[in-house]
Amino acid sequence: MESDKAKLLPFYLVIDVSASMSGSKLEQANQIMPKVVDALADAPILSDKVRFGVIDFGSDAQVRLPLCDLLDDEVTLPALNVRGATSYAAAFRLLRAELESNVKQLKADGFQVHRPAVFFISDGEPTDRDEEWRAAFRDLTENFPIYPNLVPCGVDDANPRTLATLIHPASGPKAMRMYLMEQGQNPADAIAMIAEILISSMLASGQSMAQGNSGLILPAQQDLPSGISAYSSDDFV
Amino acid sequence: MGASTREHEESAGSAEPAAAPAWRGRVEQFEVGDPGRAATRVVPVPDESAWDRRDTVLDGVALKDGGRRVVAELRAASVRGLAHRAYGTVRQDEYGYRRTPDGRYLVVGVADGVSAGALSHKAAVAAARRGVNMLVHALRTTAPDRMPWPDFLRAVAAEIEAIGRKRLAATGTADPHAVPLREVANLLATTVLYAVVDLVPVAGAHEVHLVSVGDTSAWVLREGGRWEPQQAVKNDGAEVHSSSVQALPLLPAALPPPVRTTVAPGEALVLVTDGVGDPLGHGAGAVGRFLAEVWAAPPASGLEFAAQVGFARRSYDDDRTAVALWPVAGT
Repeated sequence: MESDKAKLLPFYLVIDVSASMSGSKLEQANQIMPKVVDALADAPILSDKVRFGVIDFGSDAQVRLPLCDLLDDEVTLPALNVRGATSYAAAFRLLRAELESNVKQLKADGFQVHRPAVFFISDGEPTDRDEEWRAAFRDLTENFPIYPNLVPCGVDDANPRTLATLIHPASGPKAMRMYLMEQGQNPADAIAMIAEILISSMLASGQSMAQGNSGLILPAQQDLPSGISAYSSDDFV
Repeated sequence: MGASTREHEESAGSAEPAAAPAWRGRVEQFEVGDPGRAATRVVPVPDESAWDRRDTVLDGVALKDGGRRVVAELRAASVRGLAHRAYGTVRQDEYGYRRTPDGRYLVVGVADGVSAGALSHKAAVAAARRGVNMLVHALRTTAPDRMPWPDFLRAVAAEIEAIGRKRLAATGTADPHAVPLREVANLLATTVLYAVVDLVPVAGAHEVHLVSVGDTSAWVLREGGRWEPQQAVKNDGAEVHSSSVQALPLLPAALPPPVRTTVAPGEALVLVTDGVGDPLGHGAGAVGRFLAEVWAAPPASGLEFAAQVGFARRSYDDDRTAVALWPVAGT
């Protein structure tokens, strides 16, 4: 019976752990999860509704933290390590499979699930063939009812033109944005700033939900930490 | 201070039976399933733009016939939601109730101010309190089954619109009357549900007339704990969750026809905003069972009723309002 449904807000972090991410970038990447935990611990209204999951990708993609309530006592945060190349195709395929099974399960458990939000962080170009990762991206975003709100974030050698094509939805009233490290910025610091953006959008989305709205709220350009810029999909052609 | 302590020790040491404790009692949270973290961890903060808006209001009264006999028990509570407490926003729900001077009818209004409007609580107050007053006035000359409901709702909408335009004028809008009604509604809007209950029963049952705009809902809790909705349940059969609601001062193109039902001793008429209606769903879940149990008979006090309305259940953090009426059998 369609009765008594609690609302959930799923967030995913999909993060590049290819060889180039080693060193201080990886250290900052490993700080994202504890920072999200700290933010949720101070936001009980939000933490009752947020589910968080982590997928990392190198030559392959792996679910490192299955979608969960981060403040649950049983949750152990994984340690990210670098491995191999940069397969966007593997990341998109695994993300699609996770979205499908997670949302199906949550609905079966009686929840009303908001559209999942995905922060996709990369420091380089995909190493798969172009048509391969693009096909995987289409499977994730087209004719897929559980398509995510996808927010690409680029640091270091990530190609803005490539990442801009991952913004989804790219247009319309609920269009997403891309966040890019500015030239000359320290890429490890940029990852820390992206973590801030993820957390502030989580908090803003929770507050907006409390005002009767739905959808992912992203920070405006003037609220961004310096060293990071926001772009919409038509900023790059 | 020292003397009284000594006296206390002396009496405690004596062989007399222990005196009854000087005080007793407790306040305890009602919880349904997982209460969530918000129920205990939210730090409530005031809305600094509306100091005179109360967090919680409640009532518990008996309505008597001309003599000493109780005809019905009424309990009502409007409780600020956890999210509004956490983010420092006023309670946007409101209720009102009033009996006609001849004692014949009880009129109840329940309103839920639309979240996005900064002054929606004022719309809710106007609809629930002023609206009930207007309805009581109209009932002096018009029986409920002959009430021109569209005209009445238009009059309530006009009250709300006037509050909005007055505020626009006060905040420097040059020509507030040129502002489109839709923009006024962005400032303040509210759902509303009115019930007119005939306090004179026919064959033991009280006739009830219900009229609503938006998703504030009316239920009759039938014997055996069965929740009977008096209109379609929100989002029933809908593909996607929708948060758009009908709300005054905008009038829906077609007003839903008034609903007539009856409520008898052993049953309760329950009017709720969606803060209660959403977790109640179809009434068959955990919240439905909880409220059916604690409201099988009128709770002892308005305070107890308010505590029940404010039950903790994970992720349900909206304002909550309920007005319930239990007819009492004649002797």
